Amino acid sequence: MAHVVLKDLVKTYGGFKAVNDVSLTVNDGEFVALVGPSGCGKTTTLNLVAGLVPITSGDIVIGDRVVNDLDPKDRDIAMVFQNYALYPQKSVYKNLAFPLQMRKLPRDEIDKKVKEAARVLDMTHLLERKPRELSGGQQQRVALGRALVRDPAVFLMDEPLSNLDAKLRVQMRSELKRFHQDLKATIIYVTHDQLEAVTMADRMAVMNGGYLQQYDSPAQVFAHPVNMFVASFIGSPAMSLIPLEASAANGDTVLTSAEGWSLKLSRLNARKVQRATTKKVVLGARHSTIKLHKSEVSSAIPAKAFTVEPTGDVTFVQAFLSGAIVNISVSPNIAVAPDEQIWLEFDQERMHLFDGETEMALKAD
Amino acid sequence: MSTIAETASRGQTRRRMRVDGWRWAGRIFLVFMLLYTALPMIWMLITSIKSGFAATQFPPQWWPDEPTLASYQKLLDPQNSVGQDFLRFFWNSLFVSTVTTILSVIVAVPAAYAFSRFSFPGRNFLFFAVLLRNMFPAVIFLVPLFILMRVLGLMNTHGSLILTYLTFGLPLAIWLLKGFYDNIPVQLEQAARIDGATRFQAFIMIVMPLSTPGIIATAIYSFIGAWNEYIYAYTFLSKNDQLTLPVGIQRFFSENTTDFPGLMAASFMMSVPVVVLFLILQRYFVRALTEGAVKH
Repeated sequence: MAHVVLKDLVKTYGGFKAVNDVSLTVNDGEFVALVGPSGCGKTTTLNLVAGLVPITSGDIVIGDRVVNDLDPKDRDIAMVFQNYALYPQKSVYKNLAFPLQMRKLPRDEIDKKVKEAARVLDMTHLLERKPRELSGGQQQRVALGRALVRDPAVFLMDEPLSNLDAKLRVQMRSELKRFHQDLKATIIYVTHDQLEAVTMADRMAVMNGGYLQQYDSPAQVFAHPVNMFVASFIGSPAMSLIPLEASAANGDTVLTSAEGWSLKLSRLNARKVQRATTKKVVLGARHSTIKLHKSEVSSAIPAKAFTVEPTGDVTFVQAFLSGAIVNISVSPNIAVAPDEQIWLEFDQERMHLFDGETEMALKAD
Repeated sequence: MSTIAETASRGQTRRRMRVDGWRWAGRIFLVFMLLYTALPMIWMLITSIKSGFAATQFPPQWWPDEPTLASYQKLLDPQNSVGQDFLRFFWNSLFVSTVTTILSVIVAVPAAYAFSRFSFPGRNFLFFAVLLRNMFPAVIFLVPLFILMRVLGLMNTHGSLILTYLTFGLPLAIWLLKGFYDNIPVQLEQAARIDGATRFQAFIMIVMPLSTPGIIATAIYSFIGAWNEYIYAYTFLSKNDQLTLPVGIQRFFSENTTDFPGLMAASFMMSVPVVVLFLILQRYFVRALTEGAVKH
């Protein structure tokens, strides 16, 4: 296993910058997820690491070698593709044996390694089948087996679970996580599904528009998103972002809505707002940090329920505040009807404040 | 209630009848097409086993009174002059068509792969230029190519025909093969390259086996094109010992009499290689080789 370093990585297609100055370090044995919406440059970044696409500028280090100009075959990597890319004319056995044959291993050693990989992945009985005779889940396993049979320095995975049905995806997710724990493998995992990234990765790199937005542990990214994009992309349902205007009144700092209501800020939050260069402030709040009241409470803001979605253990209520959609989760015991008058109380400790112009998180120091 | 059900069922019957009507029209059309294509061939076969006199009788003998293989014996007998000529023409055609086929596959495979996989300056222009050739009837190029061949000193050689057939066959061959390569997921090659293959090895070991149906289709297309071509062979070749079959068969027409059974026997034997080629290779057309490669 090895560590991976990306330094000022740039990839341009014509005039279009697909990857913009991306720098990050993946430690030995770490599971890192590249996550972002489609077109954010995450798959291109992975292809750059794999060597399938030439880099425009920057450096890629795998282990202690700069691999910028090395062929994919010389980078000591293995890759699992979204569509599995199994060799259709070869049996499962030959699919697994192919990377070993290409490395000119003796035949008995190939046989031993293929059978060991098949045993680990519980597909010994499938070895003589052709890929088209396998189910989607089995094909996915073969693709994984072909990657791990070789014991590479780094595993690259390009949305390996996104073609599975929902149930199998959850199962494979925990198997992959277990696989990482057992092998202590270095894994770079591309996904558009923030839930996969949050549940599996040691650290996640959130990308948007070719730029690396934030690179931190899922807990940190969740608790301290650096900007509005990360805040709204990570977490489901998405964080509510309410545009407001900051002002001072009687020594207090308040956020005022165009709708007329205002919210008095705690001392810490007030300091964040005072340090901002603009009066435009966006208030961010996750569904679980907003308390819903059915009668008027001081410091709670009046709103009207718009939709109510019961999911079993929790009921999601949507309301409009200052033109923004606000998601609130409540216990299913609390009955809320659409168009009912409700009052929303924000948790000052767990609320997020963003600069309305730069969209960056406001800091107290 | 019952009226609604009745109306519904009547509507259903009417729809089924309409579908049946179309299906029958389709069947009749297919039978017609089958007769249209098969009858001349059957008549060719029947005529080829008649005697010279029986072939010209009217009303025709639907089935010859005295079937004979004399025409075939004559054509395949290297001792008499007709047999010598026929066998030489046959060999000439086989040589020209085979070399054309091999060369066109050798050129079309890498060309089509490049058009399918790589982006390079002038890619679209070149691909369009390749197709542009196909928009003109072949005969337009007869005189220019004739002059060109004379300048190149290729008159009365099989090389002139092979070159010409390549210029006509390659555009479609490249276009056909590009379609096949477009359908082979690029991730297969990427996987092979990560698994330890060079770009060239990935092409040879993974892509080539998968594109076998395409290559075979292209080869058959090139072979048939070269095998049947008449105008250029007629224009470029004047020496008797170099003629290809389509031109050589003309020998059976003479000023006074036409040896119809001989002509038909020669025509039949000329179509044998093409039919055999098809029968041997047809299974490759229908096999969907990339099935199971990727999940869509």
